[in-house]
Amino acid sequence: MEWLTVVYLIYTFIAFYFLFLFILTYFQNYKEIYETIKPKKNYSLSIVVPCYNESKNIRKNIEALLSSNYPGLKKIIVVDDCSTDNSYDVIESYAKKYPRVMVLQTPKNTGRAAGSKNYGVRFVKTELIGFSDADSFPRKDAISKMVGFFNDEKVGGVTSRVLVGNRKNTLSKIQSIEYKIISFTRKLLGFLDSIYVTNGPLSIYRKKAFDEVGGFDMKNLTEDIEITWNLVSKGWKIEMAIPSKVYSTVPEKFRGWFKQRIRWNVGGIQTIKKYHKKFFRCGMLGLFILPFFVLSWLLGIIGLFFLTYRLSRYLIVKYLVAKYSVAANVAILRFEDINLNPSILFLFGLLLFSLGFIFTLLALAHSKEKDYEKTKIHDMFIYSLFYLLMYPPLLIISFYKYLKKEDKW
Amino acid sequence: MLRSKKRVFWEALIVTVFIFLIGFLFGIYMERGNYNRISDYSTISEINLLDGMILIQLSENRETNCEFLKKENINFANRIYEEARLLEKYEESGKITESMKILHRKYNMLRTLSWVSNSNALEMCGNYDLVVYLYEYESEDLNVKATQSVWSRKLSDIKKKNEDMVLLPIAVNQELSSLNILLEKYSIEGLPAVIVNNNEVLYNVDNFNIN
Repeated sequence: MEWLTVVYLIYTFIAFYFLFLFILTYFQNYKEIYETIKPKKNYSLSIVVPCYNESKNIRKNIEALLSSNYPGLKKIIVVDDCSTDNSYDVIESYAKKYPRVMVLQTPKNTGRAAGSKNYGVRFVKTELIGFSDADSFPRKDAISKMVGFFNDEKVGGVTSRVLVGNRKNTLSKIQSIEYKIISFTRKLLGFLDSIYVTNGPLSIYRKKAFDEVGGFDMKNLTEDIEITWNLVSKGWKIEMAIPSKVYSTVPEKFRGWFKQRIRWNVGGIQTIKKYHKKFFRCGMLGLFILPFFVLSWLLGIIGLFFLTYRLSRYLIVKYLVAKYSVAANVAILRFEDINLNPSILFLFGLLLFSLGFIFTLLALAHSKEKDYEKTKIHDMFIYSLFYLLMYPPLLIISFYKYLKKEDKW
Repeated sequence: MLRSKKRVFWEALIVTVFIFLIGFLFGIYMERGNYNRISDYSTISEINLLDGMILIQLSENRETNCEFLKKENINFANRIYEEARLLEKYEESGKITESMKILHRKYNMLRTLSWVSNSNALEMCGNYDLVVYLYEYESEDLNVKATQSVWSRKLSDIKKKNEDMVLLPIAVNQELSSLNILLEKYSIEGLPAVIVNNNEVLYNVDNFNIN
């Protein structure tokens, strides 16, 4: 067997394993996916909102939080990170009108969301502490559907389902598919005690657990991933409330999207570097989260290598054949040269793609929304055939940026 | 209530191994089927070739029936040419077993034998064209791959136009001693190369033609 065939088979095996793991987890737990838990008591909660130049979104965010039906929400602490627009004035106007809203400003710009979040935490005196990005808008029942999970004293953090609020162009529509699949997958990971991120748009932590891990890591570009790994490594459980919906604003232009993804990936690499000694230790962090994270990235990069290697060789040969055929006066394309005998590797690939597509459909079937139109089939194909192919090149660029220490927000 | 169900990690592993085993067995079954098909063809071709060789021996002793010999040789060459094309396609899709490579070697030997047999017939009668196409087996060089592909198309086109032509494509790098001796005889300098009627060796596809 050729070495490329062996690598391909190992790649396919790992990909199949993860896919079957998710499919089986789904079938064993599908009745519990939408489960919410009634809180034993009225846990007191403060929400910290980091804000930097968000004058366009901050009103909507504060209003969304004010409309929350959770009675334990005591404070909405909005921390302005020395914005250069009028964000502070907007927040201040709300603080004057609503006693629950508190406005803060960092002494100087921290340059990262973690900076303003940690600053805001100093003013929290409640049992639970939540965080919500300024460009995200939780539904009024979002918080109340999350807090019940804290009945379990081992639970250190609860995260919500992030959905895309601005579905205006193809890029944002495709991201809305991506976000739905991410949420669905994350919920399934919850059944395996392996949630690896508590998202920025809306997550709530037990204050005791939050203090134990020392808050957000200021050096990390994805402080929400880092804090989750930190909590899991210290034995805290993370849960996800899928009925708790938060609508977030995603980049509508490629440039913004690209910058965001590079930041996420560089942050991911920073987190892996920080926790690399925990491999096969610290419960599910070392046994599954770290290997899953690293393997899924490796799969992406190996897949890209395969595709590039095969495709480039194929295209070069086709180009040379065309060039020489013209010189030799021979037909460039002939029907008899088409090989209709599929190899087993092709059949494996086809099965993997089909199962992946079925999983995508399953995730979307669990993400129906009344206020938005149904996901269109062509958007799904763009997502499955083209958008996912962008992940590995982004990873490679992120590695390069990480090595060059380009870790600006 | 939410609870950990960690046995699912083992279950997923079992399902994956099961699917892989089924896939592998199916792959082996598919490749074995292709091998058997080609193997049957090769046995028939082998019998026909030996029959042809005996025919040449007999022709030497009796009055030569050149037309009959020509017809037999062309038919045989056409058949193994088509079989070789099928073999190549099966070889492309065969990823698990190495059986097709052995068959390819056998076919090469048959074609080399056919080359020798045709050379004798050509010497005796000279009433058809013999074109031997020598190429590199499984070349990794993209330029060689592309050149061979164009040669193969060109020869196939020419063959379609010339009924009185025997085309024998032979892969040279398969460690066949008899073939190596023939290559030395014709002083082959590079690949791909085409030997026309055992007296002209060509390396450039652009101006190649047989009238």
